[in-house]
Amino acid sequence: MSERLTLEVNGDEVVVEVPADEALVNTLRDRLGLRSVRPTCGLGICGTCTVQLDGAVASSCLLLTVQVEGRSIRTSEGLTNDDGGLSRVQQAFVDNGAYQCAYCIPGMVVTVEACLAESPDATMEEVREYLAGNLCRCGTYVSILEAVTELVRGERE
Amino acid sequence: MPDAEERVVGTLRYTVDHSVEGMAHGRLVRSPYPHARLVDVDVSGALAQDGVLRVLTGADIERAVEIPNPYFGLTRRDQPPLAIGSARYVGDPVALVIAETPQSARDGAGAVIVEYDELPYVIEPMEALAPGAPQLHEEWPGNECGEWRLHRGDVDLAMSQATHVFEATYTSPMANAVPFEPHVAIAAWDDDSLDVWTATQWPSAVRGELAHMFDTDPGNVQIRVFPLGGGYGAKSQLKIEPIVAVAAKLVGRPVRLELERDEVFLTTGKHPAVMHIRTGVDAEGRFVAREIDLVYNGGAYAVMTPKAVAQGLLRSIGPYRFPNIRIRSRGVYTNTVPSGSFRGAMTNQAAFAYESHADEIAEGLGIDPFDLRERNLLQEGDVFASGQVMHDIHFHELLRDVAAVIGWGEESAPPTPGKAVGKGIAVIVKTTPPGTRSEVRVEMRADGDVLVHTNSVDMGQGVLGTLAQLTAHHLGVDIGKVKVQDPDSSTFDSMTAGSRTTFVADHAIGEACESIRRQVAELADVGGHPSPHTAVEYQEILLGAGITSLIGEGAYQSPPSDALSNPLDIRGEVADHWHQGAVAVEVAVDVETGKVEILRCHGAAWAGRVVNPVRARQQSEGSIIFGLGPALFEEVIVADGQVTNPNLSDYMIPSIVDVPIELTSSSLESPDADAAIHGVGEMTIPAVAPAIANAISRATGARVRHMPMTAERVLRAIVGEPE
Repeated sequence: MSERLTLEVNGDEVVVEVPADEALVNTLRDRLGLRSVRPTCGLGICGTCTVQLDGAVASSCLLLTVQVEGRSIRTSEGLTNDDGGLSRVQQAFVDNGAYQCAYCIPGMVVTVEACLAESPDATMEEVREYLAGNLCRCGTYVSILEAVTELVRGERE
Repeated sequence: MPDAEERVVGTLRYTVDHSVEGMAHGRLVRSPYPHARLVDVDVSGALAQDGVLRVLTGADIERAVEIPNPYFGLTRRDQPPLAIGSARYVGDPVALVIAETPQSARDGAGAVIVEYDELPYVIEPMEALAPGAPQLHEEWPGNECGEWRLHRGDVDLAMSQATHVFEATYTSPMANAVPFEPHVAIAAWDDDSLDVWTATQWPSAVRGELAHMFDTDPGNVQIRVFPLGGGYGAKSQLKIEPIVAVAAKLVGRPVRLELERDEVFLTTGKHPAVMHIRTGVDAEGRFVAREIDLVYNGGAYAVMTPKAVAQGLLRSIGPYRFPNIRIRSRGVYTNTVPSGSFRGAMTNQAAFAYESHADEIAEGLGIDPFDLRERNLLQEGDVFASGQVMHDIHFHELLRDVAAVIGWGEESAPPTPGKAVGKGIAVIVKTTPPGTRSEVRVEMRADGDVLVHTNSVDMGQGVLGTLAQLTAHHLGVDIGKVKVQDPDSSTFDSMTAGSRTTFVADHAIGEACESIRRQVAELADVGGHPSPHTAVEYQEILLGAGITSLIGEGAYQSPPSDALSNPLDIRGEVADHWHQGAVAVEVAVDVETGKVEILRCHGAAWAGRVVNPVRARQQSEGSIIFGLGPALFEEVIVADGQVTNPNLSDYMIPSIVDVPIELTSSSLESPDADAAIHGVGEMTIPAVAPAIANAISRATGARVRHMPMTAERVLRAIVGEPE
């Protein structure tokens, strides 16, 4: 039982034909090739499948693709600038060495973008709470907080 | 890192992203019983499902002429890809459904009907050692899975003359490393040539063992490894590679297998351990004798346990002088998940014990724990318990570094109502893995590029960047010219584990680059060039000589030692160098709930010479954060043989809110610019749990001797209730 539906993914309208029980994470990874979106826990706990759904963070492993018909989805690949350059959040991660194995990092980036869009002057306590749903097994948290601190303090262009 | 942008954006490819044309997909059927004889496997229902190609069982593998050696293992060949005859733990793979799509394979697996005849099982190592216990492997009676001993001096005499004798038992349970990228592998055969893409830390070992299974030359087996989405030991040894290799052989198509999260929990784990310590001390608090009895639960298959318990023995000694010492370390088979490597392997369990014990002794004697350590720590030129004279020893510097940062001896933060605060310290030593070899091939090309071939795996520690940096340093060229290749079996490396890669690669790359420099100098002599220092100069010399590329080869081989030749008498050179680290913490304990909060934490590693400060710091601080989990809340719970929490909802790992607000680290260096590089991947993790236990004790007076130190355990210790 497949359904044909339209999504807005990283600014582009795409039409997909998916089984009714397919999770959004699988549609993004396997049909649209957006490999930055990764299933790890399958329970909405780890955050490696985080996407922005109409600007708000969401676990794409907990959403059925048919549930988000017509909605706007953004992944880390879609956060780069129009010229393909890194977003300021992505650049801050690179410059602060805020990655190790990096399996979790695109999800972190998506969350940080949403956090700063919502509260550009977020305190570190707020950032920590915001990122509580993005786990990093390598333990890169300190570098990630340093990257976000730079962004919040406006130390970056 | 050269691939930083791909890592951050998410376009870096991992093994989980790889596919091979024409590949089929596998799904395992696993035993629901801890121990059972396989009576019959009915595959007809599965085969009737759409897209199912074949269902394999252990019996198929046993009778296949293509697989002369159906058992694998790096210490004992006791493990079949799929259970043959009997299943030995809950989760033991008993059948593999191979289908056109992952979904078909999953549907097929649900339709496989296995008839089991339940057998008696044993979960606890001490019960497994008792007479009459259920037996796991006929060939290894008594569930014996390795026994090693060490003795030095006269322990009984020294114990009888000691002013005080202290004694306690410390335990730590199974934990899972939880690499986010699960175990995933693809195998493809082309006639007699086997290609395997797998998320492994040990490609050379996988290659050798697969070659043995199919009785073929290792040259016919290529293991290809992308950067790993986390390893932490869990991707050491062999895991699912034999399953896909066998399946691809028998179905005549490439086969891919990716484990689900719960299956990762059923594939490997940290060795559960029980460590009993007795220590004799003199009136000044100097250790005069120690006796250690250590039992490691190896799980259902040996994996590395028979050898790992030797390292467990050596890593149970700690950074102290013992004129008299006696140790027994045993591995035991039980009907549980096979134990394997885990970041800080065979050190975390022991360090929790010996560093908790050090504070218990200090407390018993009324000596400051810092002073007790100062009196007993090993120093340059001291003799280790194995008899080896130790060099490049820095425990005192590490102790003083962490004590200074945490403000040892100064008052703790003022307690808030209901909270007790305290500080704790711990110092650790980890022996390097013995008998390892690493090869490097450096290719200097006339187009100016320098290619580095190794079999070292990048798992987030940034080894590709580190090897590039070392190569650039040894050749004197710009790092942008150096391109480190992903592992492809063209060179040998025993493992990417044990915090050894940077140390060994520096030697091997140095040798390879020296060879290139020599060759270039000979060419330059002919052409009249001066000794080159830049890629352009190398390029000019090669072009001038009409040569497209030069190859330099280098290797590091652990020095030979017969220290482990007699399991019942370990003696001699047991480490080519010594991994050394320390941690200090300050905690607040809620005395009404037992909840522990880490207020501050500082870790220190002896680095000798830091190659890259950002990565060194991430290893030390990442290692601390990783260590907070097993210290405070991570435990794989086994009830009636079943793992009851194989998911990230019931098995929680540290999140950003668990990270102490003040978390810092030091990488201590030698003033000597040519000092040996020490790995820093695991120098802080073993010290985390004992430092916390010691801080809890100093805050509340309660001693917790079991990991993890959950609120319940801490509260029971505070109110004096048994567990």
